Amino acid sequence: MSGRRLPAQTGESLDRGQPLEFRFDGHSYQGFAGDTVASALTAAGVNVVSRSFKYHRPRGLLCCAGHCPNCLVQIGDEPSVRSCKRALEAGMDVQPQNAWPSLDNDLLSLTEAASRFMPVGFYYKTFHRPRLLWPAFEHVLRNAAGLGVIDENTPEGDYDKQYLHADVVVVGGGPAGVSAAVAAVDEGARVLLIDENPELGGHLRYSRPDAVAHARIVDGQQRLLQSGGTILNDTAVVGWYEDHWLSAVRGNRLFKIRAGAVVVASGAFETPSVFAGNDHPGIMLGTAVQRLLHLYGVVPGHRAVVVTANDTGWAVAADLLAAGVNVAAVADERPQLPVGTDIEALQAAGVTLLPGSTIAAARGKSGVEEVTLVAVDGSSGSHVVRCDFVALSTTWVPSAELAYMAGARSCYDDELAEMRLDNLPDGLFLAGRVAGPCSAEQEWLQGARAGAAAAGNTDDLPIAASQDVQATARSSALVAAPDVGGDKRFVCLCEDVTDVDIETAIAEGFDRIELLKRYSTVGMGPCQGRMCGLNGIRLCAQGTGKSVQDTGRTTGRPPVTPVALGVLAGQKMEPVQLSAVHDWHVDQGARMMVAGLWMRPEHYGDAAAEVRAMRQTVGLIDVSPLGKLQLTGPGVAAMLERLYVNNWQDLRRGRVRYGIMCNDEGVVLDDGVCARLSDEQWYVSTTSTGASGALEWMEWWRQSGWGDGVHITDLTETHAAFNLAGPQSRALLQTQTDRDLSNDRFPYMRARRADVAGVPCLLLRIGFTGELGYEIHCPAGYGRYLWQRLIDAGADFGLRPFGVEAQRVLRLEKAHFIVGQDTDALTDPISADAAWAVHLDKDCDFLGRRALTRIATDGPRQRLVGFRTGRRADSLLEGLQIVQSDDRGKPQIIGWVSSCRFSPTLQETIGLCWLPAALAERSEATFHIHVDGRLEPARVHHGPFYDAEGARLRG
Amino acid sequence: MSLKLLRQGLGGRPPRMWHDRPLKDHYDVVIIGGGAHGLACAYYLAADHGITNVAVIDKSYIGAGGSGRNTAIIRSNYLTPEGVQFYDASVKLYEGLAQELDFNVMFSQRGHLTLAHNDSSVRTMRRRAEVNKLQGVDSRLVYPDELARICPQLDLSDHPRFPIQAALYHPPGGIIRHDAVVWGYARGADQRGVDIHQYTEVTGIDVANGAVTGVRTTRGNVSAGIVLSATAGWASNVAAMVDLPLPLDTFPLQACVTEPLKPILDVVVVSGSLHVYVSQSDRGELVMGASIDPFTSYSVGGSLDFLEGLAGHVLELFPFLSKARILRQWAGLCEMPPDFSPLMGITPVDNFLIDAGWGTYGFKASPICGKTMAELIATRQTPALLRPFRLSRFAEYDQVGEKGAASVGH
Repeated sequence: MSGRRLPAQTGESLDRGQPLEFRFDGHSYQGFAGDTVASALTAAGVNVVSRSFKYHRPRGLLCCAGHCPNCLVQIGDEPSVRSCKRALEAGMDVQPQNAWPSLDNDLLSLTEAASRFMPVGFYYKTFHRPRLLWPAFEHVLRNAAGLGVIDENTPEGDYDKQYLHADVVVVGGGPAGVSAAVAAVDEGARVLLIDENPELGGHLRYSRPDAVAHARIVDGQQRLLQSGGTILNDTAVVGWYEDHWLSAVRGNRLFKIRAGAVVVASGAFETPSVFAGNDHPGIMLGTAVQRLLHLYGVVPGHRAVVVTANDTGWAVAADLLAAGVNVAAVADERPQLPVGTDIEALQAAGVTLLPGSTIAAARGKSGVEEVTLVAVDGSSGSHVVRCDFVALSTTWVPSAELAYMAGARSCYDDELAEMRLDNLPDGLFLAGRVAGPCSAEQEWLQGARAGAAAAGNTDDLPIAASQDVQATARSSALVAAPDVGGDKRFVCLCEDVTDVDIETAIAEGFDRIELLKRYSTVGMGPCQGRMCGLNGIRLCAQGTGKSVQDTGRTTGRPPVTPVALGVLAGQKMEPVQLSAVHDWHVDQGARMMVAGLWMRPEHYGDAAAEVRAMRQTVGLIDVSPLGKLQLTGPGVAAMLERLYVNNWQDLRRGRVRYGIMCNDEGVVLDDGVCARLSDEQWYVSTTSTGASGALEWMEWWRQSGWGDGVHITDLTETHAAFNLAGPQSRALLQTQTDRDLSNDRFPYMRARRADVAGVPCLLLRIGFTGELGYEIHCPAGYGRYLWQRLIDAGADFGLRPFGVEAQRVLRLEKAHFIVGQDTDALTDPISADAAWAVHLDKDCDFLGRRALTRIATDGPRQRLVGFRTGRRADSLLEGLQIVQSDDRGKPQIIGWVSSCRFSPTLQETIGLCWLPAALAERSEATFHIHVDGRLEPARVHHGPFYDAEGARLRG
Repeated sequence: MSLKLLRQGLGGRPPRMWHDRPLKDHYDVVIIGGGAHGLACAYYLAADHGITNVAVIDKSYIGAGGSGRNTAIIRSNYLTPEGVQFYDASVKLYEGLAQELDFNVMFSQRGHLTLAHNDSSVRTMRRRAEVNKLQGVDSRLVYPDELARICPQLDLSDHPRFPIQAALYHPPGGIIRHDAVVWGYARGADQRGVDIHQYTEVTGIDVANGAVTGVRTTRGNVSAGIVLSATAGWASNVAAMVDLPLPLDTFPLQACVTEPLKPILDVVVVSGSLHVYVSQSDRGELVMGASIDPFTSYSVGGSLDFLEGLAGHVLELFPFLSKARILRQWAGLCEMPPDFSPLMGITPVDNFLIDAGWGTYGFKASPICGKTMAELIATRQTPALLRPFRLSRFAEYDQVGEKGAASVGH
């Protein structure tokens, strides 16, 4: 063992009675239950955890708080796991990322040798001449980029979502957050306290044990739970969207939370400073050292150097001393050493204490071995100190991502050398360290006031931190350490961006922070700028001569920490709409097809036979997906007049009429039949795939003032619909109803209510297929029964069920267009050969009138028209283009085939196509369809291909 | 290794790519909007026509709008002959752009797949493929056996809710480094004497006797011979400064990226039915997006709904991506015209030109739009490629219907 595991620590999270074996980079290690992967690796003496993005430099733990990129590992099939936040499990197979062949000997680290020729943005300046060079280089770059590996056998996994509602959501379970939650619950609010750690306590968990503060957390937790508050541990709030809509993640669950008000008590985090070799393994943040020490009983090495600019570093140094670590030196930027018990202890132990100093360089092979400490003002000589780890406690950044997403602005406090927040939006309250440095007492009070205010008690004013606290907590104002030469000085660890890169980019003109980010890629990696954000801004300010405040910051975007696609997707809820007769279709061996959200039978084995049966005897098709709307009220006719191009006022009771709905541009949106069942009751059908859109469209206009006294009820899913059609359909249907179906009593284009097989039905005598036929609509609950009754009764009449494919052929034989297939997003009804339906002379205005008037006057450019081939031409497919040779013999597109089928009835291939109007008007005119370089002839045909007079429909 | 890098590596200072210059009192051409379109137009004005007294004015940094927010997909497999010709000319310019600008814009012609999950999509894809082929654009319908070779990662089984039936395969399509296009044009324009004014907002446009005479900005007033609005997303607002209504509605369009991953996806994959598209950048991030938001807005805050819906749809196509993590999301603004085709050229206001209506397809047209708009400005003649996209087509009922090929936002 490495001797890094300390005896049991007060408050540690380990269960030392439960050792766990795991593997990393091919070696076996042991940790304890309660360890994170990173703490177990540290305890095992592993310093190098990853390789960097560009130069493949070895990297070790930096933040131990889930912010930085250094501890990203692959665990099994999961890429880029933050190992400092992932609980260790027995048998884990942990792999380093971006290293080959191994972490210790990564060949790609040789790229660093060429780094002087790979300055910022080098890839924009090379590899493009000659042109063919780029694909080869791109291949190399592409394989070098990326961190984790996706395993194509990864199972989808089990994920879910939960909605939560609270009057007050408190983000952060440290002292300020617990205090806020308690105060809010005391005010009677429904409170939800969310914390990313397994236990409440925030920074108290990893700072020197404080029994009083700890007891206050335990008390608060009890009070909160007793008063009905809710606590979510191990949960990260990752997004703040409009109207206090928060997203949070725990394991495989996504919480979607609507909050009345939000208290952000998310604390602050440290960031590294800029000096030569600042990325060597062993250089870590002070709070990372404290976490390892107090939570996991681990020290990252045996000889420490502590660098600070405020009192936090001294606490770290004293903690290390108390843990038996040899503290070689403490450097504090401040010219005077502070006073306090921590310093006395360090002085007593003979530790070298250097006021007015900071770290300027670190050196080592696979980890830090020595550092150079220099005077901040460059006045005196430097100290070279041997050590095997460094704790940096210089710079604090508030964990303000959520507040920024909510609309808060950043405001740089030069005195504190720290970002502060202002312009807080309504409903956002800050408490604790996120709002600035504060003492233990202040953060508790701030929390209480913020919690009360969030719960609606606005009498309390926020507590400001006192000056003396601020003085001991200010961050380092150094943009970078004095330059003593040596190794690279990294700003962005995710992307290996150095201070020289930043200076170069600024010199090249990328002198605005957003441009600088995009060119240098500073802040674009996995940590999204959390570690480098402030340093990048300061360097940009320095390089451009602007203030930090005027330099601004790049826009923070959700999520705060990366979220797995599986978590966002949750349980897959892709609804399938099934007709009441679905099982029957499947039992009969129907080939089912996707039709919008519905599944429909395409055919039952032989579509041509289905066509023939329907033309000769009788067929039955399930048309339940048709949009079915019931419109009631005195204003229905007036509303339909405006929505459709047809006349409706004159439609008498019991009658049915085909209608076309257009938008303001005269483009066909939908079609269907409308039946007037009584003066104020209408039954409107729409296309199957357009049903929801048509309903939305109607509702939009109804609610926008055109629907006075109209109610729309959507019966699409509650009603089944079947089309019984063919010469024998009347005889068959008559066996199932007492209603007189004779042509006199129930002629074409009429609607009748009738009991069919005892089921209350609405019958529409219409004929999309061109034969005598009845559309039968009934409540879906009776659908399966009624269908069976019709099938059974049909046995004597030669009935055959038919599917969508047969229906397509049947309607094509009648030259009926299908909206969305024969029409597109610009098709008007006049060009689509349905001018007869358009009544420009209507009394009222209607949607599309202006456009259609214009088209009617000028005449269409293109027309939808039928064509026939006189042969079976299976190579003709829908979507093929109709061409005509230009002067140079080059084929020019003049139209296209929108529908095309072999007609079993006519024994030839027929179709619908779009042609220039002049050509379309010439019946029998020949044109050519482009098929794989060949030209196939076809002839223009006007009107239905079958039963042009419609005698079969009306008989 | 380029000589420039060698020099820089040996201690040389790289030259500044563009400069902050004082705002002049007069420019022959003022271009509002410093995105890829505006900068391309400025570049071609100078490079092709020697017109250099040109200002590009942007209220933010260059490329802050759609140019920096789009998902960098280039393709020309459109639906109408007019659209195909236009975008094909753009792809051809993109193919030589790195050499033209001496700036590696990293155009990567990885191939582009548009999936069809139902028979009506198959029909539309065939229609597009046929139109493309007849225009000389490499594009064809492929079925699952071939699809499995082009993109073996796709779930081609019948397990998904909407199984994949076929795809439109467009080998010349691909991805590019979008910011590099902006910077390359900016540098080229700046080198030729064009002034680029960042963080300068146009607050008004002066019109006298039906003609534009100049613009007012937050840094002073400028007289101008010609004013071009190249402000995708805000074109309605700019046109309103000259009382010109445009048939446009502005919607947010959202996108996101994952953390960088080792190469897993070569081609660009688009599904209209699932409202999703995915590609993998050279940095290793999976870049993903969806359709425009369902309501008009100028908000670019983004929504959780978007991420949830997108994630579900991506996993329909690639179930094994469930553990890939979304790193960041963002939104841009898209102004949608009724026919999903752009509005370019002259307007009823003399000397006021527009380059607008770019919906979700603006970035991929940047070079050809810049080049033809520059030609229009220089010659006062509308180039043939631009004519179908004139503003007056709406009044003339002569729209260019691209909804079938442009309704998924990329």
